[in-house]
Amino acid sequence: MDNATVEANWTDGVRAISPILLGITPFGLIFGVAAANADLPLLAAWASSFIILAGASQIAIIDVLDGGGAPVVAILTAIVINARMLMYSADMGRYTAAEPLGTRLFAAYLLTDQAYLVSTQRFPEPESARGFVPFYLGAGVTLWTTWQLSTTTGILLGAAIPTSWSLEFAIPLTFMALLVLAIKDRSGLLAAVVGGTVAVLATALPYHLGLLVGAACGIAAGMVSERWFR
Amino acid sequence: MTMWVVVLITGVATFAMRFLFIGLFGKIDVPPTLERALRYIAPAVLAALTLPAIVMPAGAFDLWNAFVPAAVVGALAAWKTGNIGAAIGTGLPALWLLQWLT
Repeated sequence: MDNATVEANWTDGVRAISPILLGITPFGLIFGVAAANADLPLLAAWASSFIILAGASQIAIIDVLDGGGAPVVAILTAIVINARMLMYSADMGRYTAAEPLGTRLFAAYLLTDQAYLVSTQRFPEPESARGFVPFYLGAGVTLWTTWQLSTTTGILLGAAIPTSWSLEFAIPLTFMALLVLAIKDRSGLLAAVVGGTVAVLATALPYHLGLLVGAACGIAAGMVSERWFR
Repeated sequence: MTMWVVVLITGVATFAMRFLFIGLFGKIDVPPTLERALRYIAPAVLAALTLPAIVMPAGAFDLWNAFVPAAVVGALAAWKTGNIGAAIGTGLPALWLLQWLT
């Protein structure tokens, strides 16, 4: 590929992810505002945007730690939420097999739901995916930049927002929206119903452990139910 | 300090999961059982995070608090538009309206 083609693919990637930025920006602002209003070190919350770079897990850490949960529960919850990256990584590996190590490290760092989804939709077949890498990097860098700008803005705005706005409700509301988008079939719906119900019943468990117990029961219910819903 | 440790460990673990199969040149597939489990992680964890916050906002079970109808409004908006921003843009005003009415 010559430089002009690489550049065209990069620009296409930036363009493909642009409509999604409209959904990412309020999510980033909410994370920032939540971080600013939590009783936690703000610099660490801010740094999580480029150290972790995965919104739902970043918000979950704030949520668990600020609610008095154990650090181990916060880490495990965040890792479980981010485990879907394994799935994306397995698919991405088929596209990046010929790339040098540096490019593969950079591509892995930028791996997010959105960058992965727009790139694999544009290039469904790894065998005929010339231009995939610049396209993906264009999308990934654009998303990264938007995430840093929106979370930083949220943190700066956070302290100025009065509590009467009930912005603490924005966190469950954001998770609720992500949940609705994550339910794809009846097994997924059952996983959510069981996971949520068990988490409510198990809130008395110490260290916020009810969250992980609920999640484990939900995952098991989803897997077992596959044979009924087929 | 605790927060930094949590952020750093999560960051390293998340990067490891992102790089694992990319680093293996895509030659190794995800084991089928793990792949099935991964499919249900998002709905199960997100519901476990959301439901307690909505039905027991003050720590005690209360199905008649303003968060419940406001969350239903936000969920419907997300379902109709496929957009997180729409859920926040409708759910929060719904909560404000309910709090103003009661």
